[in-house]
Amino acid sequence: MNAIEVQNLRRVFTTNIGRFRRESKEIVAVEDISFSVGEGELFGLLGPNGAGKTTTVKMLTTLLIPSSGMARVGGYDVEKEAKEISPRIGFIFGGERGLYWRLSAIDNLRYFSSLYHVDPDTSKKRIPELLEMVGLEERGKEKVEGFSRGMKQRLHIARALLHDPEILFLDEPTMGLDPVGARDLRRVVRNLQSEKKTILLTTHYMFEADMLCERIAVINKGQIVALDTPEELKKKVNDLSVIEVEVFGVQDNLLESIRKLDFVDSVSIEDRDQRQVLTVQTPIGSEAISDLMPLFESSRVGKVISREPTLEDAYVRLVGGEG
Amino acid sequence: MLATLKLNLRLFWDGALLSYVALFRWLRPSTYIASKVFGPLVYMLFFVILGSYATGSTDVSFYIVGNAMQMTAWSGIYGITMSITGDRWDGTLPYVFGAPANRLVVFVGRAFIHVIDGYFGVVLGFLYGITLMGLDLSNTHFGALATAILVTTISTSGLGMLLGCLSLMTRNVMFVNNTVFFAMLLFSGANVDISTFPGWMQSISYALPLTRGIQAARLIVQGASFSEVSNLLQVELIYGLVYVVLGYYFFRWFEKQAKRRGTLDAV
Amino acid sequence: MRNSMFMKYFRAVRTTFEITLRQNFSDAFIIFAVIIQPMIIAILALWMLRERGGDIAIFVIVGSGLTGLWSGLLFISGNSITGERWVGTLEGLVASPTPMPYIVLGKNLANVFQSLISMLASYAIVALLFDLQINVQNPLLFGVSILITVVAFVSFGLLMAALFVINPSFAQFQNGLEFPIYILAGFLFPIALLPGWTTPLSYILAPYWASLALHGSATGASSSSEIAFSWAMMLIFATLYAYISNRLFNVVLRRAKVDATLSMQ
Repeated sequence: MNAIEVQNLRRVFTTNIGRFRRESKEIVAVEDISFSVGEGELFGLLGPNGAGKTTTVKMLTTLLIPSSGMARVGGYDVEKEAKEISPRIGFIFGGERGLYWRLSAIDNLRYFSSLYHVDPDTSKKRIPELLEMVGLEERGKEKVEGFSRGMKQRLHIARALLHDPEILFLDEPTMGLDPVGARDLRRVVRNLQSEKKTILLTTHYMFEADMLCERIAVINKGQIVALDTPEELKKKVNDLSVIEVEVFGVQDNLLESIRKLDFVDSVSIEDRDQRQVLTVQTPIGSEAISDLMPLFESSRVGKVISREPTLEDAYVRLVGGEG
Repeated sequence: MLATLKLNLRLFWDGALLSYVALFRWLRPSTYIASKVFGPLVYMLFFVILGSYATGSTDVSFYIVGNAMQMTAWSGIYGITMSITGDRWDGTLPYVFGAPANRLVVFVGRAFIHVIDGYFGVVLGFLYGITLMGLDLSNTHFGALATAILVTTISTSGLGMLLGCLSLMTRNVMFVNNTVFFAMLLFSGANVDISTFPGWMQSISYALPLTRGIQAARLIVQGASFSEVSNLLQVELIYGLVYVVLGYYFFRWFEKQAKRRGTLDAV
Repeated sequence: MRNSMFMKYFRAVRTTFEITLRQNFSDAFIIFAVIIQPMIIAILALWMLRERGGDIAIFVIVGSGLTGLWSGLLFISGNSITGERWVGTLEGLVASPTPMPYIVLGKNLANVFQSLISMLASYAIVALLFDLQINVQNPLLFGVSILITVVAFVSFGLLMAALFVINPSFAQFQNGLEFPIYILAGFLFPIALLPGWTTPLSYILAPYWASLALHGSATGASSSSEIAFSWAMMLIFATLYAYISNRLFNVVLRRAKVDATLSMQ
């Protein structure tokens, strides 16, 4: 049996505009997604902001009811059998909210322990263990309001593990963490996986998904555009080479004219300090360089490199990198 | 000269309207009716009936007049402090202070609408008194009453402005609001004859606005002429203006402090 | 036995109670609602009713105590859920295995308990300040009346919390429920002063029966059977509120999951 089963899941939001004559507008956050996660698997949901990752996780953690479609967690339906699901899952949405800032870290954990029906003896033991695991053992008695964002994130993780759930949902767990904190957190995630827990992780960091996940579903604008192992996803761009051109000041129609070239798959642009980097994906490899350069005549060009595609490039291609 | 006047007038008017709208931007007809029409009514009913129980008589004009005048505290205290501190919650305070507008005009403009609002609140209170509670205004000099209401509304707003500015420095705006409102409920004499208070309580009563306004209004309803109450009203107005001036200085002081310490957006 | 479902739920309620108390401790608004407002109403009522003579002190204290309990319930218990939504912890609570009614029960118990203690302190101050004599005619009946009042009010708080989840803008009606209840439940004056057509309205309000029982036992104005009748009415209401709110929570939470109102968007 799969730990998580999703079929044709859809979620629409209605917002009201206007003060007096209220009109409603419908936003489709999750279009029609299907996937499944096996027991003990570390599965990634990768996509840009607003792609529908958090909405999907909220539906799986029974906080949102799907507009249509089906989802089962631990074998139970998220809509009709939510009660069975809650003791079996842990989740973090992270960020600054979701903790009682007037209380200490330990009090927060004690509270959620009792809400999750963890008996007192067990929680007495487990709370210090969890605090140590997330590196907060010295700060247990401090009020959460004084915690940095990274510390709050780590406390969220401890909270999610209080009742030793079989299935974990981690929504952008490393967002807002400094590189060291993020690395520590990934280590924690890997340890959890070795304990045979099922983990669904969402992220918009490509390298993180690549590093941690056994399989990745790439989601964009509410739809899954690819679902495979990281290796297979990279193969999708195997035929591609990537050329990076450093420019100082991009002319208006430069991107358009590059896009029009028949050997160009996609082009995106990124700001790096004072300069911009154009990333061109093309199947003809470094031969493309000579054909590209005329277009840059009126621009100041710095480095030009040709390289192998990474998962990031695969991702850009999949979500239609328009820059 | 004329241009400056026009500019200031427009500033005044815009600020006034904006502050009212901003405050009630969550407004829907139901909320409006609840807070402006229904709320004051039940408030008055409670105290008037309690007054009737207390005196064992049905002559409750003492309580009706007192509580009708008390209505001005809703907009004078709550309304104004929320308008002034509302800027802070909305994050628009930096823009208010950053503009080269005449500070005084902006400051007074904020309060203006609430003065009007308060005035109509009191009038509504009197209407309730007449229609529902048997208030007899046959001996009343209406001009004097109208003036008394106006003066009281202005003076109460003065206190409101001072409070609003003081509240800019604290997170507990509602706490300050509520405490002052309820303290005024007690000390203004809306429901008690303050001459029966011990000395220290009377001192508080007379240091607050509204107290003399209520006294004047009661005298007028019993038939007093304008000249008989003009002293009371003058002192009432002076107190109000003192509060406004204090408030204005606080407003400017706060601005300086905030700009120096960079806390304009601190909430 | 130690880990039966009952114990688990009991512990959840108890911890919620404890946590709520800790959090409320420093909340200025709550301090106002349960200390300052009742105290000022007490002083005001005391001054107004002095001329009536008799054992006015206890009447005023019980009456203003009820206003404090009621206002506290309205603004604090009602907002307990919306407060969680603001802080972002509502989702965490809803997703936990402990059903919402139990969590709200814990919160309401804490709020009522805190109200009672704070008011006790306020009234002690008022009594000292104005040199009052406070006599309770029927301490036993009074004590039981307090307990049953707590039960009735706490269950009403459950109902309110459910209504507040379904519609965050319900808050506009909070103010509208404060003074009308003071009037209709006869907290500080007997409902005999009100027009006859309002009496049926009073009878369907649990606070009215609380007022009867508490005033009656404190001043000795009511017989034991009248007080017992009030207790029965309060318990019936409490059961009704608890039952309705339980059902309502299921409906309301489902609605919130469909409309996505469990968190601020």
